[in-house]
Amino acid sequence: MNTNDLKQLEDEIIDGVRQCSHCKMCVTVCPTYEGWFTQSSMGRLAAIYAHFKYGLGTEEELSNLLFQCTTCRRCQSLCRAMSAGADITDLIVKTRNYLVKRAEAREVKKS
Amino acid sequence: MSKVFEGIVPTGHVYIRESVLEKGNIFGVAENKSAWAKNLNLPKKAEYTFFAGCGYQLMKYAGGMMGAVRTAEKMGVGMGKVIGISKGFGKLGIDVTSITGKITSAGKEDPYTRVLTSAVSVLRKVGVDVGYLGEDEPCCGSPIYYAGFVDDYIENAKRNYELFKSLGVKKIIGIIPACTASLKNVYPKYVDGYDIEVKHFIEVVAEKLRETNIKPKLKEKMTITYHDPCQLSRYLNITTEPREVISKIEGLELIEPEPMQKGEWSTCCGGGGGIEVCAPALSERLAVRRVGELLATGAPVIATSCPACVMQLLKGINKVKADIKVVDLAESLDEALEEGQFAK
Repeated sequence: MNTNDLKQLEDEIIDGVRQCSHCKMCVTVCPTYEGWFTQSSMGRLAAIYAHFKYGLGTEEELSNLLFQCTTCRRCQSLCRAMSAGADITDLIVKTRNYLVKRAEAREVKKS
Repeated sequence: MSKVFEGIVPTGHVYIRESVLEKGNIFGVAENKSAWAKNLNLPKKAEYTFFAGCGYQLMKYAGGMMGAVRTAEKMGVGMGKVIGISKGFGKLGIDVTSITGKITSAGKEDPYTRVLTSAVSVLRKVGVDVGYLGEDEPCCGSPIYYAGFVDDYIENAKRNYELFKSLGVKKIIGIIPACTASLKNVYPKYVDGYDIEVKHFIEVVAEKLRETNIKPKLKEKMTITYHDPCQLSRYLNITTEPREVISKIEGLELIEPEPMQKGEWSTCCGGGGGIEVCAPALSERLAVRRVGELLATGAPVIATSCPACVMQLLKGINKVKADIKVVDLAESLDEALEEGQFAK
């Protein structure tokens, strides 16, 4: 895994997140939402964007938020029904993959 | 190796990855996989191959394992410690998961394994020529995909495809929604020239029932509500087929939950994405909420088609101490179908 591939994956994720039109309708169907915005589907997208664009939050904090998702795709279905069409769940899974790849790349560099 | 992912992937998922890659099942249990099919005389080669997956046969261990994780969490011990302890025992040759599984399932009727036998019996009754790979059946690797180990997943998928080819598998009937979705939707994305036809059990049964016009009939009347598993309804888009099958069974009445809680919009039971190993408390709250929604329908039985959903719903029912049963749709179907009814 070289840095170019990582950069490409990051761009893909950012492009995907930009599909979100901030209507927050998905928050109402997210089963893990219990009051905190980051416990919801759109909150997770916002966290991904803030982390990639502005370096907000550590990797561990981002991973904690992402692994609270059940990947049930209810938000994604609603997003498609609302015609915004952001693949929220797929983006969350992709970002988990990105974090794994970055950790592996770091390990290769070290050794 | 697992040190690399510290703080990035929860320990539970790293453990599942190691189990899948080393032992070929998600719980890392060293048990013979095909024990449930011993008395069924399933051939290795047939028109359709039945893909049993890890879920139904090993879910009895999951109950014990998740119980241990939850107790440990309450005591303030993280998942990492629990796995560390069980690994230590593993080095001494003691398989902790199988022991806890045996303790927790002893005396209780195992609600999962019999679903597989029912499913095979249903398929035979509706006239499907079905075979089973037995010990050769690989793990589809779906949990490691959702945990972010996509490279390992692709490697596993390619290996599996080679294996399927060498064994002459052309059509697969899956019973676990997650495995079926993985084999049907995700494999073609990563494996070149993937040409295996994958269908879910319910789809096949609905198709066969459509072709023939004999009606299955239950001996005792039953009222049920149906819980749509997310992998089935939103990943495989199978929402009408189970309802079609239910409506064709005489003596089975269906009460639907609210419109935004059924079909494509069904609420998650808290068993998806491996959340039960990294956030057990949250997963339990989700289960309780879903059970509440299903209780509101007033039906005395919940039918569903996914092992993780059965486990979560049973957990939720246990927590709220509700008087409601959980059955797998395959079991009810098996009861309703008579031998030789569909012989053409």
